[in-house]
Amino acid sequence: MFGALLVAGIVHGLIIGLAALAVTLVFGIARFPNAAAGDTMTAGAYAGLLAHQASGSLALAGGAAVAASGAVSLLGYLLVFRPLARRPVASLLVAAIGVAFVIRAVLGLIFGHQQQVFQVPLAWPIEFMGLRIPPMDITLATVAACALAAAFGVLHLTSIGRQMRAVADDPDLARVSGIRPLRVMIALWLLAGAAAGIAGLMLGVKTVVSPEMGWEGLLTAFAAAILGGIGSPAGAVLAGLLLGIAQEVSTPYVGFTYKIALAFVVMLAVLLVRPRGLFGRMEGVR
Amino acid sequence: MTITRRLALGAAAGTLALPNVVRAQAETFRIGALNPITGAGSPYGTGMQRMIQAAVEAINSAGGVNGRRIEVFAEDTQTSPQAAVLAAKKLIEVNRVRAILGTWSSGVSLAVIPLTNEADILLMHTSGAPALSTPPANAKNFGYRYQATNDRFGRAFAEIAVREGFRRPATMAFNNASGIGNTDGFRRAWAAKGNQNGEHVVYEPNQPSYRAELLRVLSTRPDVIVMGSFLPDTTIILREWFQTGTPVKWIIPAWAANPQLVQALGPAVTNGIIAVDSVSNEGAEAFTAYDAAYRRAMNQPGASNVYAAMTWDMANTLALAIEQSKSFETGVINAAIRQVANPPGEAVSSFAAGKAAIAAGRKINYEGASSVLDFDEFGDVTPDFGVFFIENGQFNRRYVVKI
Repeated sequence: MFGALLVAGIVHGLIIGLAALAVTLVFGIARFPNAAAGDTMTAGAYAGLLAHQASGSLALAGGAAVAASGAVSLLGYLLVFRPLARRPVASLLVAAIGVAFVIRAVLGLIFGHQQQVFQVPLAWPIEFMGLRIPPMDITLATVAACALAAAFGVLHLTSIGRQMRAVADDPDLARVSGIRPLRVMIALWLLAGAAAGIAGLMLGVKTVVSPEMGWEGLLTAFAAAILGGIGSPAGAVLAGLLLGIAQEVSTPYVGFTYKIALAFVVMLAVLLVRPRGLFGRMEGVR
Repeated sequence: MTITRRLALGAAAGTLALPNVVRAQAETFRIGALNPITGAGSPYGTGMQRMIQAAVEAINSAGGVNGRRIEVFAEDTQTSPQAAVLAAKKLIEVNRVRAILGTWSSGVSLAVIPLTNEADILLMHTSGAPALSTPPANAKNFGYRYQATNDRFGRAFAEIAVREGFRRPATMAFNNASGIGNTDGFRRAWAAKGNQNGEHVVYEPNQPSYRAELLRVLSTRPDVIVMGSFLPDTTIILREWFQTGTPVKWIIPAWAANPQLVQALGPAVTNGIIAVDSVSNEGAEAFTAYDAAYRRAMNQPGASNVYAAMTWDMANTLALAIEQSKSFETGVINAAIRQVANPPGEAVSSFAAGKAAIAAGRKINYEGASSVLDFDEFGDVTPDFGVFFIENGQFNRRYVVKI
């Protein structure tokens, strides 16, 4: 049973981690908590759903989710967050909540509020070293791993990634060094949107797709972003995994009702011992 | 003539000076239709709201209540207590409604009823939570339940489990008053029959996985799992269960085990599930009228939405009670509800017939579209329960259980 819960926890944790990555990237570079990240996930889930219904291919669904979430995210930046740049964090947070409402309302109008599901074939679990793993979990974990590899590849191996990390480190210094902020911001919002899109797709495949799904998962994503050390991509992913595994594995012992509370107890405990989170400060993006 | 601000103000003030009668002609009896248009109740909410409006239309064309037209203000609960409280506040404080009709889920009704009590108005709902019967929620006896309590659902589940020959039932409940009400009702009734209860798990909403919960229950090797659940969580749980490859039967309330569940999971996963719902009063004249109205408004048979039959009955019982009480005061109307709905009396199936009988001085007994609608001391009704077996994606009603 422990093994089965560990597997469930890892997949759960990867979803949280990807969502937290979207939150923490924006926090590190644009410097405000993006409350619209959850609904960007939802947009990705619906785009993936449409592509999956049309083609039956999970890979195409992934592509559609990334494209749609990236577009929604970028649009949010160009229409709302860019005009509001350099305003107080509180204004941006409230604006982000507004953007979240708009995305949710539009999705509700287009798709209705009834739940929809990915019609994926249901298969019996694969026995692996005494562990029973559902094949879909393996697929989803692979998808998440590829997405994470791509995201970190962009951050660490490309010029635009280096520029993003430079802006995260010190925006003014980056500017005087000749880094063009607009390009960096566009890349940032596309990357954050893409991560949210994959998270939304995974959540949608595992559960049901509804306009509220992303918003309801947002709190855990924030918890993971804080736990990982705000602005630290690696920290966010690790913290997401930690929270997911902690929730699943501990429940037989603490009771199912306290599953959600447990994630926050873990967060409190870590922050009491290590207020910077797992991976330190803003410069974590470096 | 130009209308100056002073002139407009003067004219507005002038209307106040008109005799009462002139203003009273425009006065209506205002009610709120507060239904789950979005969220988990969305498969039912729109139909519920339309049937309040359709019933009120019929009432108004029969001359209204006590000479007043009924006016409906529609709002969406979003199947969420927070949104429902805001909407109820708006209905009470801005629209000044005198009754709220059609809250669906227990969490919503439990959140709204303190507001209606405070405002001294009636709340008619379709929620199952047993707590809605008694104080503090129903301290003023202004709450009326047109659906069976979750406890009664649980008792029906126990009857079905006996009839189907199950020996080792486990229970899983969504962590709210409704979910736990179902499983508690079952466990009490099951124990009262001298049986042993199995594993019981209460789970949280909006989880990406229910594998831990499911594995705990399945490890006790039950022959049936009795659910107190809703559609999204049931979808996820059944999908994960099917992937474990463990054979087990399910008894699930029909608001969760509905055609959308079959659509989501396919006939293979859902085959053999026993879905239980209260059944509408399908042989009754009131049901025929409701069915016609529902087909007109929704283009679907009335039997597809038991809750819409309930809201249809809400509008009719309320209107008849106003007619009976010759008053617009909540306390007096409240006292008349059982008079018009419960026996003895002349059985009537529409507002127009009831109004005529009341005018002739006869005691009436409204027989509703949703049930015979006889309220007990708590404002609860006892409908019968239909037992549906899902077979190849079809819902086949095998029998009806009375409790």
